[in-house]
Amino acid sequence: MTPIISARGLTKRYGRTLAVDHIDMEIPAGRIVGLIGPNGAGKTSALKAILGLATFDGELSVLGKDPSRDRASLMEDVCFIADVAVLPRWIRVWQLIDTTEQIHPGFSRETCMQYLSHTKITLDHKVKQLSKGMVAQLHLALVMAIDAKLLVLDEPTLGLDILYRKQFYTSLLNDYFDEQRTILITTHQVEEIEHILTDLIFIQDGKIALEASMEEVESRYVELMVKPEFAEQARALNPMYERELFGRHIFLFDNVERDRLAELGEIHTPSVADLFVATMKRGDS
Amino acid sequence: MKRLIALIRREYWENKGALRTTPLVIGGIYIAFLLMSIFTTAHFDNEMYTFKEAVRLLASQSPEFRATHGYEVMLGSSLFFTVVLAFVVFFYLLGALYDDRKDRSILFWKSLPASDTLTIASKLLTAMIVAPFIFWAVFVLTQIVMAGIASIMVLSVGENPWTLFLSVVNPLKAWAMLLASYLASSIWFLPIYGWLLLVSAFAPRIPLLFALLPPVIFAILQIWIKFLKTFTVNNNLFGLVGDWVANSPAILTAEIRDGEGMLALGATLNHDFDHAVTLTNILDRLFSLQMLAGLGVAAVFLTGALWLRHRATES
Repeated sequence: MTPIISARGLTKRYGRTLAVDHIDMEIPAGRIVGLIGPNGAGKTSALKAILGLATFDGELSVLGKDPSRDRASLMEDVCFIADVAVLPRWIRVWQLIDTTEQIHPGFSRETCMQYLSHTKITLDHKVKQLSKGMVAQLHLALVMAIDAKLLVLDEPTLGLDILYRKQFYTSLLNDYFDEQRTILITTHQVEEIEHILTDLIFIQDGKIALEASMEEVESRYVELMVKPEFAEQARALNPMYERELFGRHIFLFDNVERDRLAELGEIHTPSVADLFVATMKRGDS
Repeated sequence: MKRLIALIRREYWENKGALRTTPLVIGGIYIAFLLMSIFTTAHFDNEMYTFKEAVRLLASQSPEFRATHGYEVMLGSSLFFTVVLAFVVFFYLLGALYDDRKDRSILFWKSLPASDTLTIASKLLTAMIVAPFIFWAVFVLTQIVMAGIASIMVLSVGENPWTLFLSVVNPLKAWAMLLASYLASSIWFLPIYGWLLLVSAFAPRIPLLFALLPPVIFAILQIWIKFLKTFTVNNNLFGLVGDWVANSPAILTAEIRDGEGMLALGATLNHDFDHAVTLTNILDRLFSLQMLAGLGVAAVFLTGALWLRHRATES
């Protein structure tokens, strides 16, 4: 099967700085990929290239199209919410729905109204009358009502309260996602999405620091918690990262036999957040 | 086509104030002035004596006289609509590719499957067709209301408005001429519209400044260099734009001909074209070499605007 996104040597320059530095990646259909990186790592630059919002060097194909040339036709099958909600402030909800329906062949008014019925948003509201959270709700309702092959979410729940964030990811998974669809998502709230992700991409200084499926992560990485007296022995096994918590030493290992680690203390699968911190620290050194 | 219409509707919704409210306010002002003048007359005029005399004097004129002058008055009263329309279109185009960059809603619009070409086309067509058409329609409506009020006044002094002016003046001809002049002007001013869209797509802030400053500086340099070389000051960008307005197919001024005031296309400052308000003269401008050159300039500006729009989401 052809991949949804395939990049080879994808590069984005701003003047002399390389925001995206020769990235290779392939994202097949039916995945939920978390693109995670610190601020300024090049996440948004990479997403902009994928969405046809910026020029780039290298090869990039999204759904078999060149995004910088065919943005309009690509958008028939791709949806995105960029950064925070950026809906025009002057528009009324019904006008927004009307316009989207007329322009987007894959938009279902019915589905959109269904999502909106769970909110306090009415058709006559102007976007500028809505709170930040409601604008985000409206944008998500619009996007989820579009039958797209690729959904790109860049910090989709920024500014939303925790109740709605939970609800959003639940409905994304239950109502929206299926094997035909691919979701590419960036967020700083890694804990909230780690249970829905199928794949991880860590990006640092414009380069990919880690690209793995969640199964690979589980089999490759081990978190070990030991008492201080075993710390030296654990260190000898060359951990990626070490931290201390309540007098215990916690180590993160990449590709070290579980049995050997289990002899020293408790072993767990690391959380994405811990794995992220460890990967970034390793990249810095 | 469906997408283009949706985009044009979106332009109308966003600019309802400028495109719909403005002409309605002007129409309201026209009607208010008419009513005020009626009340003033009624207040000072003893039993409407002077008004009656004026109506009788008008009735004694030949139907041809009433027809020509009625037609001229109808067309001439469009001037204020036309001037305000020009301002509305000017500022609309300056904001057209700037506002959504400023509030970042361009990221939403670019998430829809509408090409940049289609987006720019929707904005250009709003300026060229939608805005003039709404102004024209409100103008027609205003004249119908004013004709109604005038008829009541004429009836109230015992004259018949039908024979006096309603059956004599052909409003359709005046209205059609105005609409033709509006649409022809939209084409004529394409190079300027193209420039405004280019600036709108380019300006990092204050598009008005970017629209006016470069041509002004350019023209001043031209004047200065020309002056140094030849001690004359003709042929510069100011003159070119001035001539362009003077040659335009918009009904902007009147001229004196054979001792009588006549409406004129553009301004009778030069005689590149015949300035009499006729359909032939309007078409003459559209099929001229100037127009061809203007379209070439417009094409360059619009291509630039499209190029910039394509890259507008680069940070």
